[in-house]
Amino acid sequence: MRLCLYYVVGFTCALSAGVYAQAGVQQAQSITGAELKGLAPVSDEILKVELPKAEEADLDNGLHLMVLEDRRVPIVSVQVILIGAGGYYDPPDHAGLAGFTASLLREGTATRSSVEIAEALETLASRVNVSTDMSLQAATMRLSSLVEYLDQTIALAADVLLRPSFPEEELALFKTREQAGLIEQRTRPRFLAVERLAKVIYGDHPAGRTSPTPETLDRTTRDDLIAFHREHYVPDHAVIAIAGDISMADAFPAVERHFGAWASSGTRPPTVDDPEPIGPSRLYLINREASVQTNLVVGTQAINRTSDDYDILSVMNQIVGGGPSSRLFLNLREDKGYTYGAYSSFTAQRYRGDWDASTEVRTEVTGDALAELLRELVRIHDEPVPEQEFQDAKRSIVASFALSLESPNALLNNFVVRHLYDLPDDYWDRYPERIMSVTREQVQEVAAKYLDAGRLHIVAVGDGEQISGMLTSFGAVDVYDDQGTLIETVGGDQ
Amino acid sequence: MLTRTRCKWLAAFTVAAIFSMAAGVVTGQAVEFSDTTLENGLRVVIAEDHVAPVLSIAVNYDVGSRNERRGRTGFAHLFEHMMFEGSENVGDGEHMLLIFNNGGDLNGTTDKDRTVYYERMPSNQLDLGLFLEADRMASLDITLENLNNQRQAVQEERRLRVDNQPYGHTFETIDELAYENFAYAHSTIGSMTDLNAATVTDVASFFRTYYAPNNAVLAIVGDVDTESALKKVQQYFGQIPRQPDPPAVDLTEPRQTGERRTSYDDPLARLARIDIAYHIPESLTADHDAMSVLSTVLTSGRSSRLYQAIVRDTQLGVDLSSSAGNNRGPSLLWLGVIAAPGADLVALEAAIYEQIERIKTAPIEAWELDKARNGARRSFVSSLGSSLQRAIILSRYALFYDDPNLINSRAESIASVSAEDLRRVARTYLTETNRSVVLTLPALAGGQSGEDPGQGGF
Repeated sequence: MRLCLYYVVGFTCALSAGVYAQAGVQQAQSITGAELKGLAPVSDEILKVELPKAEEADLDNGLHLMVLEDRRVPIVSVQVILIGAGGYYDPPDHAGLAGFTASLLREGTATRSSVEIAEALETLASRVNVSTDMSLQAATMRLSSLVEYLDQTIALAADVLLRPSFPEEELALFKTREQAGLIEQRTRPRFLAVERLAKVIYGDHPAGRTSPTPETLDRTTRDDLIAFHREHYVPDHAVIAIAGDISMADAFPAVERHFGAWASSGTRPPTVDDPEPIGPSRLYLINREASVQTNLVVGTQAINRTSDDYDILSVMNQIVGGGPSSRLFLNLREDKGYTYGAYSSFTAQRYRGDWDASTEVRTEVTGDALAELLRELVRIHDEPVPEQEFQDAKRSIVASFALSLESPNALLNNFVVRHLYDLPDDYWDRYPERIMSVTREQVQEVAAKYLDAGRLHIVAVGDGEQISGMLTSFGAVDVYDDQGTLIETVGGDQ
Repeated sequence: MLTRTRCKWLAAFTVAAIFSMAAGVVTGQAVEFSDTTLENGLRVVIAEDHVAPVLSIAVNYDVGSRNERRGRTGFAHLFEHMMFEGSENVGDGEHMLLIFNNGGDLNGTTDKDRTVYYERMPSNQLDLGLFLEADRMASLDITLENLNNQRQAVQEERRLRVDNQPYGHTFETIDELAYENFAYAHSTIGSMTDLNAATVTDVASFFRTYYAPNNAVLAIVGDVDTESALKKVQQYFGQIPRQPDPPAVDLTEPRQTGERRTSYDDPLARLARIDIAYHIPESLTADHDAMSVLSTVLTSGRSSRLYQAIVRDTQLGVDLSSSAGNNRGPSLLWLGVIAAPGADLVALEAAIYEQIERIKTAPIEAWELDKARNGARRSFVSSLGSSLQRAIILSRYALFYDDPNLINSRAESIASVSAEDLRRVARTYLTETNRSVVLTLPALAGGQSGEDPGQGGF
């Protein structure tokens, strides 16, 4: 068994370059959760890094191709991003259909059975899978292969994507496995927390759903899958992004050979809506019997990917909970010993996304830990961030760019984001200077705007008998069981 | 094979580092590195790679939970946490802040056999990384306040990964049942009682015994110059005194003579599962390589035999996996299957054994061996893409097997496994008397009993 000190989650940003000298000398000033002696030799220079560029081209049927050549490792990774085939576009009365369709693509084509597909791919150590999520606009096929097997792998992938047969018997087997999965996921506290939080942040918006129901799964037919595939798997707005041991000169003909005959549908780009503005703050308790920890998640609505506040929120999030050098970790773990980890993160897409902070604490300190977490969210807009802490946070974002140069997939994803959100061509080249130009006043303003205490929703998953009393001191609490059913409301004015 | 400089430090510059140039037949690529040992016994492996302005440092210490004594389970890992709590010239938590604030990342990880610490950083921060690693190797700052704080963090880690998760206790139960020797029988995370018992005296003594330069390997991989990096290593680590070699651990495992079996009522689970462990030899033996391939044939992907038989044909299970554990000492082939709701567990277990018997008697297909070969090659070339992975692998092979060049030959060893090898190891090790079986049964919380233990479901 491997045990990690902690896992690094939250927001990581890849960005382009520039040299930024760190202002002043290190200060040996201690902060909550850490003591600083200032004796270690630090290079003040932030490395200037040249961003390799992705090459781009369009096929006649509307497919947009992006290639980032990287010859270091003889592996090629391909993503086919099918805008419009994601769970966001589930029919209103058939939650999960996009996900079922994506999952069943590999289970048979006009000329190959499920078993033949699995054997062919796995013999080559190639990977092909298609997945989506109920909050996503796109279904994505992810394919990777040793370079010598790339052509065989793409041929199989194209067959799976374009000519699925959705055999009846495979649908039946899928339902059996998936029904068990729906049972199993309710045993995981993180799932229960995320399920409730999504509902309260997004309401009836598609992103408010996290999972299909046993009922929608059960009544799914082969015809439903065929119809969803026919309507939503179209090349018009799709992107194929390739990173690794291949050039555009080799990739273009390969993509054209396997995907060139995929007929354009002539449809307009699929649209999205923002969720309704979030309602006033509330607490939710999911009673999970036999729990020995409480999973706490505090969340709210935040921004779209194209918001002017994106860079400022990135810096604010780094200060609050972006990593182990951030306030939540230093306070709740290193100072108080309540938890193994405490982090925050945000999502930003075409529609308004969410910001949330989460931690897992032993049952008896649930109330104290929540108070401390909320205190950090007040502090970030009530008090200016100390200058050294502020510079460190910006530096950590900009300097970490060098690390992303080890990962062609991470670099390519930046270009994909630029393409999908119509960002300017020099978006990533100018990212470091934008981050470095964020001011402390802007961070406070953005914190006040999005982390308004009156709009924070609080979810706790744990042993209800022990923690409901601790939670009611914060207000009325809606109590649910682990199946998602509202049982009662306790405390507060209700 | 690599010839290694076992010279004293001062000679190292003139002798220069010896590079391994072995080009793998299977891979067509090789990791080149220098290999030097300082006067105080610290072994230093450096591999240059100038593709990205990144460097990784791994310090791999020859200590893991196998070195723990009774009453102190979990201590090696608790100690790992203490390594981030400050040293003579580095404040409590400062190590972490300095690395992250300068764009890097880091972690530490403990298993039965070793404890490894690592940093990945922009390549202009080599001095910072070496300074931080050397300062804590030389002068750990041990206080009761820090110990109590990290004891709490580790206890929350245990709750997060084990006590508050379905099947969390299953893995602990497998090792406890399969191993008789305490060294491998107890869990790395340890028990709450033992974590509570740890004292600052324990920390100081563990530090002195195991955290010595002669008990560690330092690997540096990435955008560095070998000669100047070696000079810096000497500058930062050269003065740390050698310590007496730590006591060896007896890992001898008595031969198992009869099946062992237990069941565990899990209040957090809703589906039953079966876990089966067989004793197998230690890693890097021919039989262990064959077991790795066998594990691929049995459970890797949807084309695997158990997936086809159990998830698709009989539909007795919904998910499964297996692995040939890569302990330095006696290992286990572990196999776990989650039962379908309401499945007959007796029939499920029988279906697993039927597939194991088929390995012993029926032909292994050529494509099944190709799958394992391609998988091993892919895994090797993938590791070339990450300076950190290479640093961890090189330090591991140097520490465990005195041969960092194993990084270049492992895929070939796996590729040489034959169908006959699979039959041989299946017949030798996958026998009834050599197995331990753990049934995890869903139990309702609040003291009510679950259902008939012969059945899965609810």
